[in-house]
Amino acid sequence: MVDYDPALIGRVFEETEPQAVSAEDIRKFCESVGDSNPLFLDEAAAAAGPYGGIVAPPSFAVSFRNGRHFFTFVPRFGSTGFDAGKDVEFIAPIRPGDEVCLASHVKEIYEKTGRSGPMVFVVIRSTLRNQKNEVVAHIDHRFMSKP
Amino acid sequence: MADQVTDFESLQIGDPLGPEHRFVGKQHTKLFCAAAHMDAGRFTDDETARAQGLPAAILPGNMSLSLLTKLLTDWIGNSNARVVRLGTTYRSPVVTEHTITLQGFVTHTNSEERTAEIDLWIENEDAERLVIGTATVHFPARVK
Repeated sequence: MVDYDPALIGRVFEETEPQAVSAEDIRKFCESVGDSNPLFLDEAAAAAGPYGGIVAPPSFAVSFRNGRHFFTFVPRFGSTGFDAGKDVEFIAPIRPGDEVCLASHVKEIYEKTGRSGPMVFVVIRSTLRNQKNEVVAHIDHRFMSKP
Repeated sequence: MADQVTDFESLQIGDPLGPEHRFVGKQHTKLFCAAAHMDAGRFTDDETARAQGLPAAILPGNMSLSLLTKLLTDWIGNSNARVVRLGTTYRSPVVTEHTITLQGFVTHTNSEERTAEIDLWIENEDAERLVIGTATVHFPARVK
């Protein structure tokens, strides 16, 4: 049974300063994945679309970085570890002019046994809010380590 | 670009997304790291990656997630549908300087919620699934 302080669960350990979003940031992100969708890039086409203006592609949400405390506070259960996956809930579009803050807490710690032996998973939930304090996305980062 | 969905009513279980074949080189991971404010390190340099026990420079997990999201938004096209959830599992590193294939298919539809569940994955040239995922897409009600 993995040993950890249960008070870790749910405690917010990271809150970032607002990060401004520009149309240029969105354009660079689209370019980096070869995305030419006019809803993300073309003001006129986007104005006629479902959001009434340019929005970021949904996965732009993962471009907001946690701050310097992030990896300090992620509990570790072994010498090796890696990013095992993410679960992202896209709640509201991110638009040019938005200012996005991110807050993170430990959501869950659990064990699994696979073919290579026991593994410990730490799930960190990051919640992104815009300048209106609206939640725009939840991102669950799943880190795996071998004790 | 893959075939696009037109509306919820035309959806069928088994409808495909992709396949989309794409070469991913270090020039692409470099662009992504800059756009996503990530340290490039093991994503753009083979030696740095090997020093960390990786076979060579790899794609960031966030880039794999973003490529799968693009597969979804390309498929959504002009249907006004919206990606509401995407979960990914990174099974094996996606190594740069290779051609990957992105694809998926509709596994379930819910007519009350007007949602489609989709399985997605990234595979290498040997058809190994390196990244797998599931997504939920919501379709707006028809305007009467």
